[in-house]
Amino acid sequence: MMTATAIQGFTQVDFDAFLALRAEEPAWLTTLRKDAWQRFEALDWPARNEEEWSRTDIRLFHLDRFAMPTTSDVAPPLAPGLLTHDVDLAGQLIGYNSQAATESLAEEIASQGVLFGSLDRLVIEQGDLLRPYFDREVVNRSKDKFAALHAACWSGGTLLYVPKGVAMEKPFHALSALGDGGIDLSKTLVILGDGAEATLLTETASTSETDSGLHCGSIELIVEPEAKLRYVNLQNWSKGVWHFAHQKATVDRNATLQWTIGALGAKLAKVNQEVALTGPDAEVQVNGVMFTEGRQHLSYNTHQHHQAPYCRSDLLYKSALQDRARTVWRGMIKVDVAAQRTDAYQRNDNLMLAPTARADSIPGLEIEADDVRCTHGSTSGRVDESQVFYAMTRGFTRTEAVRMIVAGFFQQVFDRISIESVRVALGEAIAQRVQDLDQPTPSAN
Amino acid sequence: MPDFIAVARPSDLSDPGSLLVEVEESLIVLIHAGGQFYALDDVCTHDGGPLSNGEVDVAGCTIACPRHGAKFDLATGAAKTMPATKPTLAHEVKVEEGQIWVRLSGQD
Repeated sequence: MMTATAIQGFTQVDFDAFLALRAEEPAWLTTLRKDAWQRFEALDWPARNEEEWSRTDIRLFHLDRFAMPTTSDVAPPLAPGLLTHDVDLAGQLIGYNSQAATESLAEEIASQGVLFGSLDRLVIEQGDLLRPYFDREVVNRSKDKFAALHAACWSGGTLLYVPKGVAMEKPFHALSALGDGGIDLSKTLVILGDGAEATLLTETASTSETDSGLHCGSIELIVEPEAKLRYVNLQNWSKGVWHFAHQKATVDRNATLQWTIGALGAKLAKVNQEVALTGPDAEVQVNGVMFTEGRQHLSYNTHQHHQAPYCRSDLLYKSALQDRARTVWRGMIKVDVAAQRTDAYQRNDNLMLAPTARADSIPGLEIEADDVRCTHGSTSGRVDESQVFYAMTRGFTRTEAVRMIVAGFFQQVFDRISIESVRVALGEAIAQRVQDLDQPTPSAN
Repeated sequence: MPDFIAVARPSDLSDPGSLLVEVEESLIVLIHAGGQFYALDDVCTHDGGPLSNGEVDVAGCTIACPRHGAKFDLATGAAKTMPATKPTLAHEVKVEEGQIWVRLSGQD
């Protein structure tokens, strides 16, 4: 029998050992993994002369410092996460280093045909049910070398499947944690059948603030006709983690999706987030909250793809940056010929808390239909000193004043988030990160 | 304040010439020009592209970004020509015991 310690990196030998540990998986999945592995080996790493990667430098990323996930890591005691304070959950999944550590699902939920828990386990138990959704290839497995790596080696992860017509009031929660030097190749798959309703809160964490690590993951959200999904994804790794992710939702006729992302952690994050509105009258709202510090680099490519008529999409990303942090947001609204009467909007606002921080904001439109309303906007600016001065004349310290201004900056996006625990968690996490700006501002050199 | 870290030998660089080195999670372009050694962040502040492989001008004491031609002062990192307007980080350099040593600045 192959042992877990046989896996030491990302060679063919390691991949064979990885598959041997997964001998119980359905044959169709093994075939998918092998095909993806061939693409991974054939593809080059993204180059700086590719437009999408021209502002994101991964020359310091070395895959050979990590190894494929095994099944031998034992999870240490983990904090409960930020999103679940005072929340009554329908089910919870906690993973560590790309494998499930604990799972729970209320019996009255499971009895309605809902599946929730480790995707590793459920793909074995429910292979025939899940195969059509894998076959859809919601996230393009050949998009780049990271997508192919993930498709070949995904491990752990979360499944939420809600059958047709079933509405869940209580939210589900999943936490993925990384240990120092650990790897997370988890996949999140959410399937809401016709008319189903659910809320899923997912978040990431590291076991300490300085841990290194690698996340190379995917999120696939399948929202069938008339279904309603609220999905929250908080990225809160330590500042030593590389984060690469491909995320996509398909939203069908009359369905709605509210997708909120929070990005607080990671050394470098490169995320492709896409929503595809595939049926008439679909509606999507995307909310993004980012706070960066130190020398963090967070790069988000968002794509709103209107494929059917009468759909609405509304994206708002807000970022605050301090120290030498950098964000890159590149947004695209794509409207197909068939998507007449589209109503689409995208906006990115950046609040610069230090002159050495940098935000690149690149909105774009690609419209092939001739009866649409598509608009976009972007702002970047410093804290308004006159507002700080006014607050100080009312008795606040400079730091208190800046914290209020930062809170006010994010309020617009918080007002759109309909889950209170998420608003509170994001607000508190950001307030803790705003530094004492009474300190002398570092010079530009 | 960070310590000096040995990154290369003087013989590793021609004059003029440059070398990309990895120093504690930072990419630094080490430059040899007019008998002096310099160290800059390998970042053009115009669009974030790399400075390494840029042309070194000994007389002007600058390195030019290979993408759009922005020039940076080797000693201070100051932006000397458009399209860059902000300096890139310059790091302290010394040559001792047959090694080039770099002390990173701007560590948060």
